[in-house]
Amino acid sequence: MTRRLLTLLAGALFFALLPLFATFFGEPYLISLFTRILIYALAAVSLDLLLGYGGLISLGHAAYLGIGAYVVGILHQHQSEGMPLLSWPILVQGSDNALLVWPAAVLVAAFFALAIGALCLRTRGMHFIMITLAFAQMLYFFFLSLEKYGGDDGLSLYARNRLPGIDLGDSLHFYYVCLALLALFLLLAIRLSRSRFGLVLQGARENDRRAKMLGINTYWYKLACFVLAGGGAGLAGALLANQTEFVSPGLLHWTMSGELMVMVLLGGLGSLYGPVAGAAVFLLLEEGLAMYTEHWMVYMGPILVLVVIFAKRGLFGAIAGTARAE
Amino acid sequence: MKILRVTSLQKAYGAVEATRNLSLAVEAGHIHALIGPNGAGKTTLVNQLTGDILPDGGTIQFHGHDITRLKPWRRARLGLARSYQITSIFPQLTVAENFALAILAGHRHNFRFWRPALSAHRVRELLPEALARFDLNASAGRPAGHLSHGEKRQLEVGMTLVGKPRLLILDEPMAGMGPGGTVELTKMIRQLQGKLTILLVEHDMKVVFNLADMVTVLVNGENIATGPPDEIRANPLVRTAYLGEEN
Repeated sequence: MTRRLLTLLAGALFFALLPLFATFFGEPYLISLFTRILIYALAAVSLDLLLGYGGLISLGHAAYLGIGAYVVGILHQHQSEGMPLLSWPILVQGSDNALLVWPAAVLVAAFFALAIGALCLRTRGMHFIMITLAFAQMLYFFFLSLEKYGGDDGLSLYARNRLPGIDLGDSLHFYYVCLALLALFLLLAIRLSRSRFGLVLQGARENDRRAKMLGINTYWYKLACFVLAGGGAGLAGALLANQTEFVSPGLLHWTMSGELMVMVLLGGLGSLYGPVAGAAVFLLLEEGLAMYTEHWMVYMGPILVLVVIFAKRGLFGAIAGTARAE
Repeated sequence: MKILRVTSLQKAYGAVEATRNLSLAVEAGHIHALIGPNGAGKTTLVNQLTGDILPDGGTIQFHGHDITRLKPWRRARLGLARSYQITSIFPQLTVAENFALAILAGHRHNFRFWRPALSAHRVRELLPEALARFDLNASAGRPAGHLSHGEKRQLEVGMTLVGKPRLLILDEPMAGMGPGGTVELTKMIRQLQGKLTILLVEHDMKVVFNLADMVTVLVNGENIATGPPDEIRANPLVRTAYLGEEN
């Protein structure tokens, strides 16, 4: 427990103080690199809820990331053009107020997760993986052909969203906003994993038939997990759109889902904290290896194989000594 | 009062009739044993009672409800519990969490996201008693998958009982148990006698004739005889069809 606590404290301290070091050593680009890490970490933690606790292997999690990003992009475009997004049956104006746009991104992503999850959860195993993949690819091609919002060229934002009292355009402010949101989501996820809902979810993952025989309709719990994970990814998508000030269909591509899954496995399945480490290592390796070769995946592959074989509990499990989030 | 009434149940797999025009009534409070040679259709019948598979015809009435086509979790809510022949627990969860899940399963819903499950009111009330009653206090914090075979069986049966079911279906509870475990479990089942209804599917004849108030003999998917143990023992039809094979 002490070793675990130490690992967590060290991690928290590292992320809290990183901007200081980056400024001190005159490497401000580190702040934007680590902002990206925080955002992907948020997406990876949400996927870990699904993979690690629900036992639901979704290969379409990028769809919700992309939807969250597109909510930001589309509302921004309508705001800057001054044209309403919808005029009937209700008037929906564009916006770049983060307090409106980000919750909207979460809700829209969660809504898609509800609709898609409701269908996918009627299948299991291999079929579940394939159908989540199919839905995500459908959405990918949908945005690819959506000429009004940039099609395959994507959509550029002229500025980041506005948040009262905080300048999201400032990389330091934005970093801490991302850190706070990640911390909040982690707290929710950890509490959830130990709650009654989390227990039922894990029961359904471990032995669905038995859970049903105890009198639990596991379908709704899995669906709720799917929706929560989708909402988390939607928030990450909204942040990502703000960071890059650009939204493209590539965010929804299945390779993105794969990368998120790699982050979860690298960090430690079902550990919730692990995916943060996984996202950091993945993106840092990508950044580092890409300096030497554009075929950086050639080196990433073997590293991943080694981790999966020799550290089954992932990096977090190996460092902290225990994998379960408790 | 009959708590379970099966009428003209039919189930066929292709040409094989696993359940043939089977009728059966279980008296509330009884230990009703279901015996029969391998392949007699005992497990097929149990699976139809619990809803794991649906019959081709006939009806199942439980506690005044027609449950023939209800989903398994709905039947469980009505008070029908089952322990499995092959131990069916939640291996990665701790023993305490296994029990907690069984305790919480009876709640209307568990969409509670914040408070730890183990500190839920009902769990704190019932968990210590359950751990003590099934002799699993020392293992409360261990993953259930790490328990010995005997302990897993205790947990398996324990989980079905903490929900306070009306009808408990025990599918070969003695399977793979040593003589000591069999004695323990027999004692435990005897303690339950009269408190709830038990449908006991069992191979071990000694156990059956020891415990049961009523015995039903299943051969080739048919109910060939139902009656008190002594009557069944003396029944010539049963002797040739079943008991004769064993001795």
